[in-house]
Amino acid sequence: MMNSQWRAVQSFQENQNLISAINILSIHIKLEMAGHSNLNKEEDIRKAKKELGAFLTELNPQVKRAEVENKPLLGVDPRRRQFIKHLITAKRNYRISSPFLLGKLLEGVQLLHSDAKADKQAILLFLEELRMLLEEHIGSDVQQLFGGF
Amino acid sequence: MQKLLKQNNIALLHEIEHLQRSLIDAQGNIPEKPQIYTTWIIKECDLLYQRALNNLKYLEFELEDLLRDILSETELVTRAFYDLNGQRASPILRARASDQLSLKFLLWLHSTHTRAKNIPAAICDGEFGVWPIQPTLYATPCTSQKGLRNLPIFFHEFGHLLYTFHQPEMDAIINELQAEIRDSLRSSVERNDEYERTRETERDVIVHTWYEWAQECFCDAVGLVMGGPSFTHAFSMYFRALGWNEYHVPKRELAHRSHPVTWIRIRLLVDRARQMDYNVVATDLEEKWRQVAAALGVREDYYGFYDPKFLSVIQDKLDDMLMETSPRKFQASEISNQETESTFTSPVALLNRAWQKFIEDPDGYREWESDAIARFIDADLGTFLT
Repeated sequence: MMNSQWRAVQSFQENQNLISAINILSIHIKLEMAGHSNLNKEEDIRKAKKELGAFLTELNPQVKRAEVENKPLLGVDPRRRQFIKHLITAKRNYRISSPFLLGKLLEGVQLLHSDAKADKQAILLFLEELRMLLEEHIGSDVQQLFGGF
Repeated sequence: MQKLLKQNNIALLHEIEHLQRSLIDAQGNIPEKPQIYTTWIIKECDLLYQRALNNLKYLEFELEDLLRDILSETELVTRAFYDLNGQRASPILRARASDQLSLKFLLWLHSTHTRAKNIPAAICDGEFGVWPIQPTLYATPCTSQKGLRNLPIFFHEFGHLLYTFHQPEMDAIINELQAEIRDSLRSSVERNDEYERTRETERDVIVHTWYEWAQECFCDAVGLVMGGPSFTHAFSMYFRALGWNEYHVPKRELAHRSHPVTWIRIRLLVDRARQMDYNVVATDLEEKWRQVAAALGVREDYYGFYDPKFLSVIQDKLDDMLMETSPRKFQASEISNQETESTFTSPVALLNRAWQKFIEDPDGYREWESDAIARFIDADLGTFLT
């Protein structure tokens, strides 16, 4: 009613879940590459891929509309709009180099499901840069929810 | 880095264990039956504990490559723990016998909707608000937890939860609303100069601002549809004497404001009440706000962020959103204000009767309310659950 903290709560939870999904996949691939068994269950890995896939699939047309068509994003949550702006700025400032994040988000979704050894480094770079953007983005929610002292 | 991460995760384990013990100790004080919320929070604590343990196991691999991931995981667990420890565990740790009223009402409220009925709810102290996640946390001022008159505000907060159940469809409806507002703001003369570009930017700000405003107006509509006049009374009383800003907000503060000016929300509620044939309620609401505005000398001006020509399209889209989310509608018998035994077994009837009683007899209200709350808490709401 008076309190608009709910927006930060939703955004915080969504981003926490996405970063967690990235970590599950990243740790899984790195342990596998080093010849260690993973602590995460197959089910968790499948869920993480699904969650990231859904997010990227939803993000793809929104980024296209804002960046390529230069049209306002109607019907899109303000925090998501900020993330899209953040992503576009990072691309323009050469802060990211993953081709899947630079413009092939949907191919990135397919890449997540690849078991080919040759794709592992590309997946890790994609995940690492996406996590960097999400961690930067979650900062303002954290500030609003937990403040400082 | 290895050592630092180990320290942080061990510290997290200690704190989580401490919270787990406190939750188990406090479990007996919760008036919520069954204790779904408590069980949920204890389970979340267990999950966080397991994740901190996993971090320590990952550190044992001593892989340099993993440190960045373990740092990120440690941050996630830390933030999630702060959230639990600072906010979501507090309804259990601060539980009071007087929570029974709000909890019983919230459990009933959740039971009215198929998507919400299995989602636990809890209350915490604070300005009215909601954490529309699972389990759902409703913030309410301390004295409001003990009385009936402000309970209808929960209908609005529940609207935020309903929105999340249908987010893609609701966003699509808001998209349509924004497009219509944008069209209605276009000037009739086509120009391609600096003036037009400035106007275009201003139009974009208004259109984007309406994304959040539409959600708030939807929640107000949920309040009216579910709570009837009790919602308009609670809403109006809560805001009307808060000062000038409820009636007028300077232009520079309107852009990207999270809530519409309250007077706009009143305009929409008045119109919706009239559409529902509750003309007396509508006129009373309209008149009271006009009186205060006149006393304050406020001139109604929303600087293009709202115009009466938006009204019909806003109401149409709010109707679509109500159709999409299907909140329980109040029944005519629940707002008849005839006090019978069923008044105390129907939350909507009780809240409407409470407001009627307060308006008719403010001096006798408190005694009546105390008795009414006791009867409501003892009542079996089984027959009113849908």
